[in-house]
Amino acid sequence: MASIARSSLLRQVASARPAFQQQNVIANAARATAFHTTARRDLLPPLPQHVEGTVNDAAPVPETSPSHGSYHWTFDRLVAGSLIPLTVVPFAAGSLNPTLDAFLCATILIHSHTGFQNIIIDYLPKYRTPRARKIFMWGLNAATAVVGLALYEFETTDVGITETIKRVWTA
Amino acid sequence: MIAQRAGTTALRRVAGKPNAFFTANVAKLGLAQSLSTTQIRPVATQKLTPADGAALLAKQRLQRPVSPHLDVYDKQQTWFGGSIWMRITGSAFSGSLYVFATAYLAAPLLGWHLESASLAASFGALPFAAKGALKFLAAWPFAFHALNGVRHLVFDMTYGIKRQTLIKSGWYVWGASMVGGLYLAFFL
Repeated sequence: MASIARSSLLRQVASARPAFQQQNVIANAARATAFHTTARRDLLPPLPQHVEGTVNDAAPVPETSPSHGSYHWTFDRLVAGSLIPLTVVPFAAGSLNPTLDAFLCATILIHSHTGFQNIIIDYLPKYRTPRARKIFMWGLNAATAVVGLALYEFETTDVGITETIKRVWTA
Repeated sequence: MIAQRAGTTALRRVAGKPNAFFTANVAKLGLAQSLSTTQIRPVATQKLTPADGAALLAKQRLQRPVSPHLDVYDKQQTWFGGSIWMRITGSAFSGSLYVFATAYLAAPLLGWHLESASLAASFGALPFAAKGALKFLAAWPFAFHALNGVRHLVFDMTYGIKRQTLIKSGWYVWGASMVGGLYLAFFL
């Protein structure tokens, strides 16, 4: 906030103006600067800007979609809730049979996928970085497919995730 | 500046005794310049197309300051709050799972050994302190993410969202996850 006032004051001083206004602004800038305590530091400076339409157009409102909105949210919570008993059981029972282990892996995979989607949606909004958003989303889809395949291989040719963790932990 | 000030003062002086002849002819006689009370700003205008205007606006937007949020807002909430550590622990776990899974698929091509047997053997060969430290580094995020996950699911059912309850439950989860992590790492 202070940086807005200071930089705008300095910009006024720097630009060519009639003499009396300049003296006034210089006097005010000197008095105001004494109160400024923070330096101006740009955290994540703004990306190259592009003005869509005219300044008189209304702000765009994204269209509503329950499958991307409230249904997705409910699905998220259901998966997270189902993970609670699924992760407690290995501790209680020592290990899991392969079917339950596969179920746990699949649920963890879905949970990770939606979690990463949340991160991408938060930090790469469509209005600001449309291409990066698309690249990362498709990259995530590919990565999840690869991890799904790898977990399948691990379950079938090796002993499974819970058994591996148990062996490594007690090694 | 001084000329205009002199103009207003002079005008105030004659305002008490208005002279009709003078007032009617002051502009014609070219005396208005020094006695004018309206602002005279010699300004030149230039034509701009809407596209040029948009380009100017875009350039100006780059000079706007970014509001410093992480620097100045309540650090207890922004840096120690449950949400960001949920995200950090969650992405650490999922990230390492994704990396391990990809490496497991690529291992035969690169000559690595990432089966459970070799993992257990190489981990068992480490010194006790290293094993304990690595296990704590894995156990604490797990405990934190699990406990805070339960806390967030409780929030989603709209319980415990009063401000004081929220802050207290947050610190309980931090403490419980530390204890849980130590237990999982050293006593399991």
